[in-house]
Amino acid sequence: MIVFIARRLVISFFVLLAATFIIFVLTALSGDPLEDLRQDNSPNKANKIADRTERMELDVPIPVRYLGWLGRIVRGELGVNRDGQDVAPLLGHALSATLQLVLAATVLAVVVGIVVGIVSALRQYSGFDYSVTFAAFVCFSLPIFWIAVMLKQYMAIEFNNWLKDPGIPPTVIGVLTLLGGLIFGALTVGDRKRRLLAFLVGAAISGALFTLLSVTRWFADPGFGLPLVLAISLAAAVGFTVLSAGLRQRGPLYAALAAALIGVVASQVLAPVLVDPTWLEIIGLALVTVAVCVGLGYGLGGFQRRQAITTSVLTGLFTGAVIFLDHMLQAFAAYSKVVRGRPISTIGARTPNFAGDFWQLNLDSAGHLLLPSMALILVSLATYTRYSRASMLEVMNQDYVRTARAKGLPERTVVVKHAFRNGLIPVTTLMAFDFAGVIGGAVVTENVFGWQGMGNLFIKGLREVDPAPVMAFFIVTGTAIVVFNMIADILYAYLDPRIRLS
Amino acid sequence: MFQSRTSGKFLAAVAGGALLLTACAGNDTGADKPAASGSASASAPAAQSITYAYEQEFHSYNGNTAAENATRNNGPLQRVLTGFWFYGEKGAITPDKDFGTYEKTADDPLTVEYTISDKAVWSDGTPIDCDDALLWWAYKSGKIKGFSASGTDGVQDTKVLDCDKGGKKFSLVYDKPFADWVANGPGAAEIMPAHVVEKQAGLSEDEFIAAVKATDAKKLEKAIKFFNDGWVSEGSLPAAELIPSSGPYKMSKMDAGQSLTFVANDKWWGTPAATPTIVERFIALDEQAQALQNREVQIVEPQPGPDVLNQLKALEGVQVNLGDAYTYEHLDFNFDSSPFKDKALREAFAKCVPRQLIVDNLIKPVAPESKPLEVRNVAPFQNNSAAVVAASGGAGVYAQQDIEGAKALLEKAGKTGLEVKIGYQTPNPRRTAAVQLIIDSCNKAGFKVVDKGSEDFFGTVMPANGYDVALYAWSGSSLVSGWASTFTTPKKCDGENKGNNNGCYSSKKVDELIKKLNSTVDLAAQDPLIAEIEKNLWADLATIPLFQHPGLSAWDETVKNVIPNPAQSTITWNMDKWSLS
Repeated sequence: MIVFIARRLVISFFVLLAATFIIFVLTALSGDPLEDLRQDNSPNKANKIADRTERMELDVPIPVRYLGWLGRIVRGELGVNRDGQDVAPLLGHALSATLQLVLAATVLAVVVGIVVGIVSALRQYSGFDYSVTFAAFVCFSLPIFWIAVMLKQYMAIEFNNWLKDPGIPPTVIGVLTLLGGLIFGALTVGDRKRRLLAFLVGAAISGALFTLLSVTRWFADPGFGLPLVLAISLAAAVGFTVLSAGLRQRGPLYAALAAALIGVVASQVLAPVLVDPTWLEIIGLALVTVAVCVGLGYGLGGFQRRQAITTSVLTGLFTGAVIFLDHMLQAFAAYSKVVRGRPISTIGARTPNFAGDFWQLNLDSAGHLLLPSMALILVSLATYTRYSRASMLEVMNQDYVRTARAKGLPERTVVVKHAFRNGLIPVTTLMAFDFAGVIGGAVVTENVFGWQGMGNLFIKGLREVDPAPVMAFFIVTGTAIVVFNMIADILYAYLDPRIRLS
Repeated sequence: MFQSRTSGKFLAAVAGGALLLTACAGNDTGADKPAASGSASASAPAAQSITYAYEQEFHSYNGNTAAENATRNNGPLQRVLTGFWFYGEKGAITPDKDFGTYEKTADDPLTVEYTISDKAVWSDGTPIDCDDALLWWAYKSGKIKGFSASGTDGVQDTKVLDCDKGGKKFSLVYDKPFADWVANGPGAAEIMPAHVVEKQAGLSEDEFIAAVKATDAKKLEKAIKFFNDGWVSEGSLPAAELIPSSGPYKMSKMDAGQSLTFVANDKWWGTPAATPTIVERFIALDEQAQALQNREVQIVEPQPGPDVLNQLKALEGVQVNLGDAYTYEHLDFNFDSSPFKDKALREAFAKCVPRQLIVDNLIKPVAPESKPLEVRNVAPFQNNSAAVVAASGGAGVYAQQDIEGAKALLEKAGKTGLEVKIGYQTPNPRRTAAVQLIIDSCNKAGFKVVDKGSEDFFGTVMPANGYDVALYAWSGSSLVSGWASTFTTPKKCDGENKGNNNGCYSSKKVDELIKKLNSTVDLAAQDPLIAEIEKNLWADLATIPLFQHPGLSAWDETVKNVIPNPAQSTITWNMDKWSLS
């Protein structure tokens, strides 16, 4: 394994080195770095041209300039851009902006995409499957700049307008009711009568829910409150147990329920800490949660100990997330007032000079992250859904799945343990490439939503025919691609026992 | 299929879980809030600040070096670092009475006496005096090697300032008369804090003053280095002690890629800023309209276009302003190596160019009041515009398109079917459309016009004179020295020597007039000279001016005193007057 990694790293180093030369030369040849100055008609034009020529060494042949750049890189300097700004801090800011933007979006797209893909594979040729396929293709073919503008108009501007008096009009409630019914109906198995029943139940639930939300003007001052947090956590405990261990053995269920209960109680006990925590404290709490839940699973799990630990850890973290979300929602009304009642923003990474407690600052980030994340998710979700559906379908038709069924294993075990893991292998490749790509590839999203990230660094450098920022960008993204490819290889070995790294 | 039956239970379980989750979400009405605490923390009231959008990020506290002499710096800086004058309403040169006063005291040699206000102090308490003015002269005169200066025009012909340590008075004595003396003293964003430079260079005030007076570049080496690079921002503002302010605002914080914040300067001695906090947000032109609609910014200056104009006009509570920019579009003839050396052909071409149609089709949708330009060097919104147009006769015979006349001239010269290459920088849809209109009408007159737009027009085509007619824009200015080199005969017609006179137009008469204009220190006497020059430029057909570029701005009606400005000073020129009603 270590030999494999070392060998890969050495090879990748030389590949990257060769690539830097190519990129440098291509960038330097991509246009006229003095173009904007040539159109200048101010009296100091010659002065400006001389200044830039000197700074960018335009009078030196390109390969020599490359060697100079390489020399600086060896000394750990990234050089200056054409205006004399040091590239290193620019890169730092760009990278942190991009990671903030891309991390959450990619993780969400992967999780949701895989879940939806797998469910639609299991329900192949059902209404749900057709709807997902349709939606995936629609999203896949939408240009991101168009999505971005639409999102800004309807999810930000109109939504903010609506928030002033967040009542849902009866017609919209009607549509949502119908939609809820259709989703339930499409997900249900069985004859027509059963599906109709599911439809009615779904319609009733969503109808009642949205009417309630509208009448109480919930969106103006949202929040769950303790009873609801408890209910959600307990439901999640049951859900996770069903998925990972089944309900036949009671051990995992008890562990999960205990985790949910302790989490909710702890949120009350720790209320003073949660008034204005720091990220460090939140991470600490998450670690404590994991430790407690491992203990719970170990103690209560019985002979399904391993599943019990997984279940209770998942339940514990989920409960924590619900409590976190609840606190954020509780802070919403106050935050909304500070930003003049317009909490969802169309541009930038944060409200300038915004000061507030931990929850309000997070709401501010969330309000700015919402639209770009949605745009990114909508587009990459489609790919993940299609890939995971296809690979799941393929796996479900394999002989060993039939064998597993023939052995009499419950369907849950067949799907989660035998099929799911193998179905993930092709998606892993996609994930590795996608993540590395999205670091430098979210150019349009960054630009439209005013995030000065890696994509902008690259595009601006290229437009100005300025190799220094382009090379800084390339070093980071190039390395990311190499590293993520390696991670994908290692993950293969973990997911597929037939693959050995040596 | 067999999966559907067997996986049914599994799915039912998932759906059950989901059902439970969603079903629960409605139980609570949000009425009870056990942990609602700390939510009403004291954030700064939002009404205390005004936010405006600008496309480019702030780069440097020193906008006087060759690389950083740009609106992205000088726009935000103009009310932070004040000076004796600034570009005021309509881009006019306006003395800043708060900072100090200046007057011409002698004509021969031209002497202008400057007096810094007694109350003038940097925001760190240091008085603004002699050494600050000397620093300005040091970089602006070009007499001390090493300073990176955006330009030395005018100041290079002055003697070193005659002030002493702590002095508030100095005079600028010119070796030869200089027409733009009014705007040649230290203006807004030009006086930099010398005490900061001294400290960074390890010099005492006395040493610094002595070194500048002796033009001792060696002694000033560290100071020069700091001046050139020390104020460049690297993702954040330079340390607070390096950036004292001399205006109504000081810069308090920069968030890389996001925003720049100004707060009122409590040491400012003039009329206090109307709004305590101003924020500049860096927002791409295309995104500004929606940002205004969502009220994330209150003032925007997007790229003018019919769509964005309609979008802004549809907004409630938003004031839209259509104005001019200082840039103007024009056609340049190649006098060096094209058939247009022949004046008759230039006349024929000028007669067939559809100036009115270009304005009607391409500009009026954005700026309904727009008209074809009458003169080149005075913009329609400038105060002396009417006088200059009247005295010069404006476009005269070329005011109306005359295809028949063009045809006759071309036939007389025996050049019917003459190929004309129009060059311009691509991609630029508006210029492509303009060239198409020219092709349509000039081909009727017997020319054979070809669109030779290229992506490397300014890089290679123009320096090598590889065009017959060039289409591009120049930014105008209320300074007469700004366009002197554009119409003066170049030493030699090559990329290095021709300066702004790209087509190498040459006329002894115009050369003389320009020289005379640039040494006319009496402002009132300048207008007739400009008119005379314009008359000659039309007679010779040096260039064909087309139209003034439109400018577009919009702001939330609750913000008062927003006055757009066509000059490079942009809408921020009076930001200390902005207030929220």
